[in-house]
Amino acid sequence: MKDDLNIVGKRVVRSDSLAKVTGEARYTADLTFPGMLVAKVLRSPYPHAKIVGIDVSKALKVPGVKAAISGFDSYGVKWGVFRYTQDHAMLHTDKVRYIGEDVAAVAAVDEETAMEALARIKVDYEPLPAVYDPMESMKDGAPQIHDQYKNNINIHIHIDVGEVDRVMEKAYLVREDTFKAAGEAYAMMEPYAVVACFKSGYLDLYMPNAGPHVRAKALSNMLRLPLNRVRIRHINSGGAFGGRSEVAPGDLVASLLTMKSGKPVKLVLSREENATSSRQVHDMIATVKTGMKKDGTILAKDFRVIYDGGAYSSTGPIATSIPFYVYEECYRFPNVRYNGYRVFTNKGIRGMYGCHGRAFLAGNEAQMDMMAKELGLDPVDVRLKNGLKPGEMTATRSKITSCGLKETIVTASEKTNFRKRWAKPSRLKGVGMGCVAIMCGFPMGFRSGSSCYVKINDDGQVTLVTGLVDNGQGNESMVVQVASEVLGVPMRDINLVNADTEVTNLDPGAYSQAAAFVGANAVRVACEDARGKIVAIAAEKLKVKVKDIGLKDGAAYSLKNPDKKMPISWVVREAFFRGEPITGTGSFFPNIDFEREWVTRPWGQMAGTFSFGTSVAEVNIDGETGKIAMPRFTSAHDCGRAINPMAVEGQMEGSIQQAGVAAITEGNLWDKGYLLNPNLLEYKVPLACDMPDMDTIIVSSRDPAGPFGAKEGGLTVRMNAYSAVACAVANATGELFSELPLTPDRVMKMLERKKGVK
Amino acid sequence: MKTMKVSFNVNSEDVTLDVRPYETLLETLRERLFLTGAKEACGLGACGACTVIVNGIPLRSCLVLTPEVEGATIMTVEGLREDGNLHPLQETFMEKGAVQCGFCTSGMIMTAKALLDRNKRPTKKEIVTTISSNVCRCTGYKKIVEAVEEAAKRMA
Ligand code: FES
Ligand code: FES
Repeated sequence: MKDDLNIVGKRVVRSDSLAKVTGEARYTADLTFPGMLVAKVLRSPYPHAKIVGIDVSKALKVPGVKAAISGFDSYGVKWGVFRYTQDHAMLHTDKVRYIGEDVAAVAAVDEETAMEALARIKVDYEPLPAVYDPMESMKDGAPQIHDQYKNNINIHIHIDVGEVDRVMEKAYLVREDTFKAAGEAYAMMEPYAVVACFKSGYLDLYMPNAGPHVRAKALSNMLRLPLNRVRIRHINSGGAFGGRSEVAPGDLVASLLTMKSGKPVKLVLSREENATSSRQVHDMIATVKTGMKKDGTILAKDFRVIYDGGAYSSTGPIATSIPFYVYEECYRFPNVRYNGYRVFTNKGIRGMYGCHGRAFLAGNEAQMDMMAKELGLDPVDVRLKNGLKPGEMTATRSKITSCGLKETIVTASEKTNFRKRWAKPSRLKGVGMGCVAIMCGFPMGFRSGSSCYVKINDDGQVTLVTGLVDNGQGNESMVVQVASEVLGVPMRDINLVNADTEVTNLDPGAYSQAAAFVGANAVRVACEDARGKIVAIAAEKLKVKVKDIGLKDGAAYSLKNPDKKMPISWVVREAFFRGEPITGTGSFFPNIDFEREWVTRPWGQMAGTFSFGTSVAEVNIDGETGKIAMPRFTSAHDCGRAINPMAVEGQMEGSIQQAGVAAITEGNLWDKGYLLNPNLLEYKVPLACDMPDMDTIIVSSRDPAGPFGAKEGGLTVRMNAYSAVACAVANATGELFSELPLTPDRVMKMLERKKGVK
Repeated sequence: MKTMKVSFNVNSEDVTLDVRPYETLLETLRERLFLTGAKEACGLGACGACTVIVNGIPLRSCLVLTPEVEGATIMTVEGLREDGNLHPLQETFMEKGAVQCGFCTSGMIMTAKALLDRNKRPTKKEIVTTISSNVCRCTGYKKIVEAVEEAAKRMA
């Protein structure tokens, strides 16, 4: 691979940032269309109730109301990522299953009118017994939330490799612990919003989303419209973090309202509705049993993990599996058993989260440190010993290609003087380390790949067309940068048309860490296709061999004699004369085993490649109050090649906030089916003053298949930062945590437990 | 519906509007004047995404009723450019990578501008304390702090 890159690898200003600093960037709630109506949703006050009847007729009589709908106006088609998880009609006619569930909706000329109309909708409910705790929910006799799932078990993932029981018996040291964690709020700054316009049989939709193509497909099913009549258009997204991967109830509501009224409809959720009625994060309980050799080698792992799945399936089997996979992609487990249960409760709908699985991951890592301590070993050595190496297979048979795990462990520990400090922690101060690996993409059938189309315009400027979507992480700028590198055209001369199902091609979306490895790869291939055509004409005109042509700053030049050159615009014009305008197409399809199925066949190649990372947290605990201070946080991430190091650092820093600091502060609080902290006053998103000093280290491993060697830009930190914090607290207190977040009261309990032992 | 007449100056332009008595400044700016740079992320004063500068003071426009700003001078993110040139904060937010999803950005920049207007050389700690009035879910704030520090240097 050539290393003399012009722009890839540079700290460039993101192409989308000008519009964002001037306030010109448009988000869904900023849109207005002539005649646009305001929509409001009536929500269930019950956690579980039979719907006896819904009467919207009085709402329709309010002057200014143009449409009112309920589940009876829908087709009742149920959404689910898989055929076997289709259970979510989004507007139901049989029963409601959580507080805040969408029941009916109106569209009116203004908000006041809509609110008034909402108050006139009459819904007859017959309350049913409800269940809120997954352990209770699994018991015989618990209220059944869906008829088709016995004991409310939505998904059971069972993985069994090797001989766990036999080996566990022989292990020198065995330990079993149970860890709990509250689900976090996505708290993306933009509350969910949607604008829907139905015209001449075509439905145009704008909403923050992490995959326009999958969403269009879901809506075409639910609305019984041909796919080409449902068009998800491009719009900026104010954050997603996994919470915008799936079709949302509001998408259906706004679509039905615009189809009924014939007018554009805007629905904007309040912050509270965003928390109760868009997606939430799974609470979980993880039991981790580990058998180790005397030298720290992990012999066997036995996991039982319960996910509180809320009322519907959502990404069911994926959410039930991912925490396990990101761990088995990191360490060697010769014998491993995983029993993951996703269980229904009468709580809001749950989806994947960038930081998904903290009880499991932090639990494993903190337990590993306790075992290391008991064996007189250093946790760095234990991680190095068990960490996967390039060329190895994971327990479920994914091959690891490029792998900088070792480098991330070594760099992070050296930078923090980890070994010494861990071995001799001063009073109530601790350091902790967390490691993880991340799959760059996962199997999504024919949607696992991405395609791109590029055209070079008559002035030498470029238009890129790709289904890739940006939720704020910088995907758009990333592909512009990749195209700039391949085509030798400055970023400012490249226009991007993306995430618009009418014009763009399939792309896996921005929720499986596939944007760089898959999406940007397709852009690279398409641009190389166009580049070949440019170079051919330039070689002919400059009388230079094809292989001796370079492209830079909008010109083609001779590598041997750089004075010999011509602008790309001349090449393009020549191509027009020849009747062969310069365009390129390209796609990238990762090397994945498509026989793999989350439940029935959980083995085979999971993704085209994996990223690796190690975080180190440093904590000081106040012995009087149990409050944790975090002065420093260090993360090393193997992202392959960083396309824009500044953007990768930004992802890592955001992850330290959202997973690391969150391990101390964040968690949804429930009283039965009521979410107690749905707004930003009660739910504390870390502020600038809560942040540690951050040191982000990019470890480059040059993936052989990634675009210019890239993999993904920072997610490992999102899934190892809480582990580092939990381990640091264990180091400081000598105690394992039992529940996240590590609020002062929980820390005090740990300190008391410790005293009790003495 | 009963409305009230309110006059104020926004981004150097005088406006007179008929507004509902309970209308928030954020609603007026966004829905009547199409100044959508200020965002609503919480609607109850917790996040600062709606921050605009009113008579030199950064205010959460979701908490201000429009009739209260009679006669005021208001600046929103749209009014930051001078003669077509970006404000130093706009430049440094771009250059330092302080913008990700961008939803908090207008509010952050307006909060930072009000700080730099009253304190030419803020310490890092002062910057951190000041922007702790605003929530950003994406960045971890490090690059935002760097951007404000750099802008202060440029403006000195
Ligand atoms: S929207 Fe005004 S403070 Fe959050
Ligand atoms: S950049 Fe997304 S909230 Fe700040």
